[in-house]
Amino acid sequence: MSVVRERPARRPLVPSPRRPPGPARRPTMSGVWPYLLIAPAVLGMLYLLVYPLARAVLISLQDFGLRQLILGDAHFVGFANYRTLLGDPRFWTVVRRTFLFMAVNVVLIMTLSTLVALMIERLGRRWRTAVLSALVLTWAMPVVAATTVFQWLFHSRFGIVNHTLTGLGFTSFEDYPWLAHGSAAFAILVALVVWQSVPFAAITLYSALTTVPSELYEAARLDGASAFRVLRSVTLPLVRPLFMLVLSLEVIWTFRAFVQIWVMTRGGPGDATTILPVYAVQTALAQQRYDLGSAASMLTVLLMSGVLVLYFRQMFRQEAEL
Amino acid sequence: MKHRLLVGLSLLAAVGMSACSSSGSDGASGEGGRTVLDVWLMRDSVSAAFQKEFEKGFEKDRPDIDVRVQIQEWDGIGEKVTAALASNDAPDVIETGNTQVAQFAQSGGLLDLSDKVSDLRGASWLKGLAEPGAWQGKQYGIPYYAANRVVVYRKDLFAKAGIDASDITTRKRWIEATRRLDNGGRQGIYLPGQNWYTLAGFVWDEGGDLAAESGGTWHGTLDTPGALRAMAFYKKLQALGDGPKDSDEANPPQAEVMAKEQVAQIISTPGGANVVVQNNPALEGKLGFFPVPGKSEGTPGAVFTGGSDLVIPLVSRHHDAAYAFVKELTGDAWQRKLALAMSYVPNRTTLAPAVAGDPGASAMAVGAARGHATPNTPGWAAVEAKNPIKDYMTAVLTGKDPADEAAKASAALTRAMKSGT
Amino acid sequence: MSTTVSARRALRRLPLHLAAGVTVLVCLFPVYWMISTAFTPNRDIQSAHPRIVPRTWTLDHFRRAVDADGFGLFWRNSLLVTLGAVLLALAVALGASFAVARMRWRGRRQFMLAVFLAQMAPWESLIIPVYIISRDTGMLDRLPTLTLVYFMMTLPFTVVVLRGFLSTIPPELEESARLDGCTRLSAFRHVALPLLAPGLMATSLFGYITAWNEFAYANFLIIKQQDHRTLPVWLSSFHNIFGTDWGATMAASTLFSLPALVVFLLLQRHVTSGFAAGAVKG
Repeated sequence: MSVVRERPARRPLVPSPRRPPGPARRPTMSGVWPYLLIAPAVLGMLYLLVYPLARAVLISLQDFGLRQLILGDAHFVGFANYRTLLGDPRFWTVVRRTFLFMAVNVVLIMTLSTLVALMIERLGRRWRTAVLSALVLTWAMPVVAATTVFQWLFHSRFGIVNHTLTGLGFTSFEDYPWLAHGSAAFAILVALVVWQSVPFAAITLYSALTTVPSELYEAARLDGASAFRVLRSVTLPLVRPLFMLVLSLEVIWTFRAFVQIWVMTRGGPGDATTILPVYAVQTALAQQRYDLGSAASMLTVLLMSGVLVLYFRQMFRQEAEL
Repeated sequence: MKHRLLVGLSLLAAVGMSACSSSGSDGASGEGGRTVLDVWLMRDSVSAAFQKEFEKGFEKDRPDIDVRVQIQEWDGIGEKVTAALASNDAPDVIETGNTQVAQFAQSGGLLDLSDKVSDLRGASWLKGLAEPGAWQGKQYGIPYYAANRVVVYRKDLFAKAGIDASDITTRKRWIEATRRLDNGGRQGIYLPGQNWYTLAGFVWDEGGDLAAESGGTWHGTLDTPGALRAMAFYKKLQALGDGPKDSDEANPPQAEVMAKEQVAQIISTPGGANVVVQNNPALEGKLGFFPVPGKSEGTPGAVFTGGSDLVIPLVSRHHDAAYAFVKELTGDAWQRKLALAMSYVPNRTTLAPAVAGDPGASAMAVGAARGHATPNTPGWAAVEAKNPIKDYMTAVLTGKDPADEAAKASAALTRAMKSGT
Repeated sequence: MSTTVSARRALRRLPLHLAAGVTVLVCLFPVYWMISTAFTPNRDIQSAHPRIVPRTWTLDHFRRAVDADGFGLFWRNSLLVTLGAVLLALAVALGASFAVARMRWRGRRQFMLAVFLAQMAPWESLIIPVYIISRDTGMLDRLPTLTLVYFMMTLPFTVVVLRGFLSTIPPELEESARLDGCTRLSAFRHVALPLLAPGLMATSLFGYITAWNEFAYANFLIIKQQDHRTLPVWLSSFHNIFGTDWGATMAASTLFSLPALVVFLLLQRHVTSGFAAGAVKG
């Protein structure tokens, strides 16, 4: 908590003067120690992540299907797989849809979770515990169970949504097949992903709000600032780094949403809910074109990095100041 | 802290490097020099009692073999078999869906059993099992058992409506009877919108097919006149009940729906009747079976032959023992017992009389004579992974133009089959 | 706070409480649906007349779920794999985050960037390379392989969060302990580590949820050793050719999420402050 107080988020872009050396923050124990300490993490990442990743890149440059997996006679084909993907109009539709899916989800998640976080902060103790517990319960529910339940809620004949809507007099919803309509299926998946993601984001943002020192609020109020102004000039700048982190994590996580879609619609109807990870698995595991699947994943990572590159730059710069 | 970490990591690594042998998985030999034979069967493909009986009988004949049957789950089975075939230490015998043999055969992971066909008297095998088990003229899958769909009906509801099930021998009479059954709280038939195997049967009845090969490439043929007539019939039938238009027979399980609602008929394998009774014991003895009716008297409806073949992975270390196992399990003696125990169609036509006493199995056997398989191309697996036929059916049932949707679905089929090969 | 008549205040806070109520409701409804389905007899699940409160209750599903083949073994395996992965990730991340939070060294920024990039790993496509590597090193069919994979899936997040925790603990505390004659290591162990407990808990829960739920790798890497399968595979055993036993699946899911729920509720406060601390420095 002290961190926030000491170092407001909006750091000047000019490198700040180094903290005077002293007991407060002394760069200590340099030499070989830090490298020894990160060695397990680095070695782990090299062997368990970078090495498989390199193999995946290699696969994406080979002709690699079920036969090659079993017999091991893959041969190099250069960028043929990438050319196939990039030349496939379907791939580009999927890319556009992925961005749409990601954007809609992230905007909804961030808006809702900010609102929920602000709300929790204003609640009394009992209500706060109730809301936080509800969020935690949501978060811990297994993905497959959550997806199945959503599927049931919107089932055309046995779902409680249609049952309720029909009961309320909207007879056009009798047996309305939600998942058979591309945009409805898309919307239901967005609802599901938002529902699953808001707890983490809201809890994190709320805990950031609690670290804002109350003196700052008082000072602002003494200056006669309106509630909205306090929010804008005091609260938001202070929670900004955290907000950015949650935002970037949500970008990554929604970009990679897979289980929910696979369980609920398998990317259908038609292609209406096929986003990149679904596309990659469809090609890799279902059609056993591991080469194309790998290539699709590599492109996904590239696209994702493209979205986050600004955040990385900022993070890199911030790190320099510590 | 760091030291302990490094030690921990290197320990883990050491565990990994140490020889890959461990008691059960090491296929070499079990106690007393017996060959350990790992066999994968699917969940519910045999009953526990049958499995035990067979293992005992087989090991008595072949005391040198120690059979270890492992039951596999349906979820993710394609990936699992893939992983097994590509490993260095695969199981020795695998049960696999008849329509899946082609893709594994094409990949080069299966043992070619063509030279054993005459030893196994392959001439009398069910075509619906033997043909999909072959790839480019070579036999990889050995027919194990078959099952196909029949109509499961409620005898009490039929009696109440004054309908004799044995009269329902043509589609026309079937529709008439179902219409009479469908009134009030009673559903004439519970047919979910995406039961595509049933649609496939209607398509074959009309002389059409799901896909056809020309010039070495496969393309979808749902937009042919025959296939369109089949869809029209499906729509007519589907409307005579409250089956959801947007899901298949597994979601919710149609047997459970039949157990809890007033449903006069479902289209299912006879085994589905057991599930109905399990969920509602009051229906014990009230369920009957008849073959899916065809277009004209004397010709039963065409059906999809589902079922399993047994395959031997190339990397199995005990090809001979594995073959002995396959030969025994697909041999006449055990096939008779299996068919009776599980209400299956035995793997060869000559064994059909074995199940004459079982109403479900005998209804199934009538249809089995008109059994078909899905298109025999490795690309078909890609179709089933995300089935465009299901989307097509829902679209037509919810009022979209059949011709347009059929053309779209055919194109999707073509694309999927192409990408899968 | 301003002083107003309590009734007026309650009225003024009504919208707020309404919003809170709606939030709780929206969050809990699907969770409630899972749990109530687990207690609903089969014939009432997915019926044509869905009911919010089941007509009758049953424990059958739980019985069936617990009676499934190998239930105990699957729990043991999942526990072993999950604990192994989480502990390994914690230990490794602790070292790394200590280095990042407390020391200055060349390459620190690059290391943190790499850790962040690692969160983007396309695990769904790494399954084939991981399979090939495991096969060629004789690591198929072994629980340690799964442990290592889950360890790697959770490590980046763990490093980021732990590192943030560490920076909230003033280094002065350790330094004063050192003045009392402790070594650097024991100062860390006796002073900082206890304060880190909530952070360790918060991150281990994240790891737990990841490792506990994972199906694809468990299905692909554990092939012949039935005895090495994990809980998600158990969940899938309620599928058969006639459909899915949803009652048992939901009962299993409820049991499955219980440990997470309990620990979360117990640690709610710590978890909350933990993520904030972790994220502030991210």
